Amino acid sequence: MSQYKVSIRYSSALFETAIYKKLFEVISEDVKFILKVFHSSKQLVSVMDSPVIKGQLKLSIIDEIFKDKINIETLYFLRFVIKKGRENYFINIFEKYLDLMDEHLGIVNVDVKTAFKFDDNQSKVLTENLGQKLNKQIRLNYSIDETIIGGFIAKIGDTVHDASVKHQLELLKKKFLEGGATLN
Amino acid sequence: MAEVRPDEISAILRKQLSGFESEADIYDVGTVLQVGDGIARVYGLSQVMMSELVEFPNDVFGMVLNLDEDSVGCVLFGESRLIKEGDTVKRTKRVASMPVGEEMLGRVITPLGVPIDGKGGITTNKFLPIERKALGVIQRAPVKEPLQTGIAAIDSMIPIGRGQRELIIGDRQTGKTAVAIDAIINQKYTHTEEAKTLGIDPVFCIYVAVGQKGSTVAQVVAKLEENGAMDYTTVISATAAEPAPLQFIAPYSGATLGEFFRDNGKHALVVYDDLSKQAVAYRELSLLLRRPPGREAYPGDVFYLHSRLLERASKLSEDLGGGSLTALPIIETQQGDVSAYIPTNVISITDGQIYLESSLFNSGVRPAINVGISVSRVGGNAQIKAMKKVAGSLKLDLAQYRALEAFAKFGSDLDTHTQKTLAKGARLVELLKQGQYVPIQVEKQVVAIYLGTNGYLDNIDIADVKRYEKEVLEFIEMKYKQVFDVIKKEKQLSDASIELIKKAADEFAVVFK
Repeated sequence: MSQYKVSIRYSSALFETAIYKKLFEVISEDVKFILKVFHSSKQLVSVMDSPVIKGQLKLSIIDEIFKDKINIETLYFLRFVIKKGRENYFINIFEKYLDLMDEHLGIVNVDVKTAFKFDDNQSKVLTENLGQKLNKQIRLNYSIDETIIGGFIAKIGDTVHDASVKHQLELLKKKFLEGGATLN
Repeated sequence: MAEVRPDEISAILRKQLSGFESEADIYDVGTVLQVGDGIARVYGLSQVMMSELVEFPNDVFGMVLNLDEDSVGCVLFGESRLIKEGDTVKRTKRVASMPVGEEMLGRVITPLGVPIDGKGGITTNKFLPIERKALGVIQRAPVKEPLQTGIAAIDSMIPIGRGQRELIIGDRQTGKTAVAIDAIINQKYTHTEEAKTLGIDPVFCIYVAVGQKGSTVAQVVAKLEENGAMDYTTVISATAAEPAPLQFIAPYSGATLGEFFRDNGKHALVVYDDLSKQAVAYRELSLLLRRPPGREAYPGDVFYLHSRLLERASKLSEDLGGGSLTALPIIETQQGDVSAYIPTNVISITDGQIYLESSLFNSGVRPAINVGISVSRVGGNAQIKAMKKVAGSLKLDLAQYRALEAFAKFGSDLDTHTQKTLAKGARLVELLKQGQYVPIQVEKQVVAIYLGTNGYLDNIDIADVKRYEKEVLEFIEMKYKQVFDVIKKEKQLSDASIELIKKAADEFAVVFK
């Protein structure tokens, strides 16, 4: 619970600073870079998570890794987070930042599940259609699930556009059972 | 032999399935983060409404009760072991609701409107949300029609009007349910042709059993059936075996069904048996939903839990059809402690209370109503004039009797006036005793109480009072039937009627032994 609240506070602070100081592109690049570094080094994550290592030491570690590689504002932000003792939320904060960035740029993440791999033409048509419908830029994340038999399932946020054969069959089953079936 | 051609079958199939849409279906989903103890915490469902029904896998339904920043708390109406972490939850886009209609009469249903009496499905064409806002001031009218319970002590001194909320409170085994069941059985009269000609509208009844034993509910249903009361009654059952969420919503479903009758200009009586168990069920889910506990570990909104339920009982204004919903909530106290949390809350919400005491019950006063501390704050306006006339002196006589009761053991050492008051009081108490499932018509109550308060019982042995009452009423029924007819029709106790009653009583005194 608190993880969500903490990370959204810090990430929106960073995001608003970026917009205010007109450093949006630079800081966004930094964030992607920092996330890449964190994902590439498990040790760095455990050091940041560790309550045994003192904040001062963490500060100098961060300084040594990132100094001159990222914008000074981003570095200040990293230092600030460590000073506040929230360094174990780094990854959450930056992932949230990416969400805010997508929202700002009008990009929507769509998880598409298909029974078999879509070819380029099919995915292009799907992207275009969804983009037109939502009036936003679309970023498709594919996954393959053979149990849906055919069609596709597109998940945009919490809303699901279900055009799978499996779902159609379920609806058909429900229709047949109608009248006989009851709640619980 | 009859034959069915294959192409006929396919034609039928095509026809049946013609309405089936094959377009993409759009719905909102969430993911189960945590499940257990009848509660599921769900991530996602960002557009979900408070108290919306959500669908879990395996046909388990749930209701949203908590909307947090990053998750949604749901209570489950089915078994939580059918649900796993990571399962998909679908929105249904409708708040928890139940089917309503006259088809529900005579049935035993769950709080979600599913029949459990094995008499087949119920088809109604109307759905109403289980949680509804109570009516405002403009839509209401003052309570003015009587709701006869058929229990003399109540109808005379603690009268209940249509649209009133009268609490029945007492320890276990004091006859709380019996009072409510008698009230339901007595409504049978309102469904007769005679009542129709007298302008008495029928009262439909709903009995909500919360957290009771299944066998107790079955017994109540059997008793209602035996007395022909099931024809106009619906029993909503959430027994102790059901999950807490169902017990929690059961009274609200009862209110919803009652409101259906009320809003159609009809009259309904709903019995919540009992609200202390509902509060316990609500405490259970509140604690599981991690809401902070307060006094007696109940959550902070336990007052609202009952106030919003009982506020739905109301009498509608004439413009809205003049229907009514009367509520008889029941609260069980522990060792007669009415200052516990839930009893005080409900006492303050209702328009009066009927106290039942185990000491009275054990000393043979049944119904064990303590008329000294029982009150009805609005029912007086709903009493028929004849009853009002005789009830005034009854109340006074009983109050005097209670004040002197402590001296009764001095017996013959008392002055004659005191002795007289005590004798009369004892006879009136005897007169108000009544068996279970034998409601008395209001006109008979009036005559009996008139005789009691006017000294016609004073020379009769206490042990003979009930017999005297029965026989004198039979006597009047036979010889002076017009007395009852006039009271029924004019609802007044005219001087002419009084003369007739006196005459009849004098005549009867000669033959009674």
